[in-house]
Amino acid sequence: MITTEIAVIGAGPAGIAAAVAAAEAGARVLVIDENPRPGGQYYKQPPSSFKANDVASSLSENIQHGRELIAGLNNPKITVCANTLVWNITADGMLDLYAPEGGSRVLAKRVVLASGAYERVVPFDGWTLPGVTTVGAAQLMLKGQGLLVGQKILLCGTGPLLQLAAVQLLDAGAEIAALVELHSRTEFFGGGLKLFGQWGKIGQGMAQRKKLLDAGVPMKYGCVVTRAVGETEITGAVIAKVDGNGRPIAGTEETIAADTICMNYGFVPATELARLAGCEQFFDSHFDAFATKTNDDLETSVSGIFAAGEVRGIGGVEVALLEGKIAGAAAARQLGYAAQSNGHDILKEWQKARAAFDSLSGMFAVKRGVYESIADDVLVCRCDEIRAGEIRGAARAGAQNLNALKAWNRCGMGRCQGRLCGPIAAQIIASETGTSVESVGAFTARIPIKPVPLGVVGASAEPHATGTAMEDHVGYGRVR
Amino acid sequence: MAAQAQRISGLERGQAFSITVNGQTVAAFPGESIATVLAVAGFRAFRATDASDSPRGIFCGMGICFDCLVTVNGLPNQRACMTEARAGCDVRVSETLNVER
Repeated sequence: MITTEIAVIGAGPAGIAAAVAAAEAGARVLVIDENPRPGGQYYKQPPSSFKANDVASSLSENIQHGRELIAGLNNPKITVCANTLVWNITADGMLDLYAPEGGSRVLAKRVVLASGAYERVVPFDGWTLPGVTTVGAAQLMLKGQGLLVGQKILLCGTGPLLQLAAVQLLDAGAEIAALVELHSRTEFFGGGLKLFGQWGKIGQGMAQRKKLLDAGVPMKYGCVVTRAVGETEITGAVIAKVDGNGRPIAGTEETIAADTICMNYGFVPATELARLAGCEQFFDSHFDAFATKTNDDLETSVSGIFAAGEVRGIGGVEVALLEGKIAGAAAARQLGYAAQSNGHDILKEWQKARAAFDSLSGMFAVKRGVYESIADDVLVCRCDEIRAGEIRGAARAGAQNLNALKAWNRCGMGRCQGRLCGPIAAQIIASETGTSVESVGAFTARIPIKPVPLGVVGASAEPHATGTAMEDHVGYGRVR
Repeated sequence: MAAQAQRISGLERGQAFSITVNGQTVAAFPGESIATVLAVAGFRAFRATDASDSPRGIFCGMGICFDCLVTVNGLPNQRACMTEARAGCDVRVSETLNVER
């Protein structure tokens, strides 16, 4: 068994900030992340062996900011454990880990959950075909691997990520077939007024839009993809205009040629570990998803377990960094270290950043009609191949929450364990039964939170510490 | 058919090595994931689903969807997007898919 004072789960912006704050106060910190390099998704880093000669600033700036943040992990108090999944957590700080080398167990006096978020997706006919990915996947492959997932890419969904990703893909040499934004031009720009005062964000958005327009990218506002075209290969997408509730309008369909379709309808907090540990959740109406409840020290309802970043509500990178700092310092203080107190200034800054991000949520909310328009024969559950109509039928027959649905037809029981289908199925059940998404609830989190070899779960009864070798960091020195 | 996915220019990637995909030799660079190597080699579908034999490939790119599963050195169900390619590794994508280029 490995022991540590503070275990930080997730090495994205929130996790790194938490680890650094706690270590600077003097605490011993173990940072655990499933990826080969720290940075999380937002600051995804390429392998250290990659040398950039001539990469567009839309990419290299993000990577450079990430490097500066990650350099903070070069602290003798911090150990980073990469390629390692935390598949179990208990309320008293026991963690079960899995790395390719095997399993191990950690006992932590305090835990900071910084598990981040997933992308929200909305199924359309053909969305399981190879060549349809999330926008995040295209961006991660580009940043972390120097790979363009396609040559002629159509982006669809809603929110500022679409524009940013489109610019990055364009700069890297892809053709952007179209940007298909759910919200109408009026809604999109009208919502911009909510950003009054955040001139930096407005400026970035305008510059990205101009760049796309200058490149001749068709900007399709108030539209959705209704179908991927192609039997085994993507050759395009059918898009349609939507009404005020997000429902496609018959007769407005248009086919756009593309070899790749990338989708993102926002983000959903990754709360499996928090729920498994028993941390109370709340329904974040700003983002239509459950998130982890905390007090102002960012301690959850389970004493000694803290939460920072997207896991306690979608908030973006600035919020995540501040929350990491607050949670890491608070966890260290509980262990008797004189951490910088979370004074008025940082709390005020945090609340301001949160409020600013929340104002974006209304702007890019996914309208109910979008989910209601998923055709009955379209797959919702990718793992067990369960269709929207089957979920609607189960809901009408009495499956009024996600756990009941899982028992009914296995939706959420496959390898993704409901991470992708859960938020969609919840919307479908809510529509079908006339209830709220909040009352439909979430799937109960089960161990292991991601599939691991059966032998690993069995062996956790008699834990054996294995080295979870950490190597291959970005080019500013090794993180141990 | 040519691969849709491509390595971007402007990056030096170090010393190339080989892996095999369904017995075919494919070039890879240090730090690349198996998903990257497969995509550049023209493989888009990595496996067929149990329920309907439908093709699947990269979807989430971050290890949560379990769609990009391949067999690596005999170990089945490895996420291609989360598994680094190593010199000489033997990758199998579903043989039932007509994806070989």
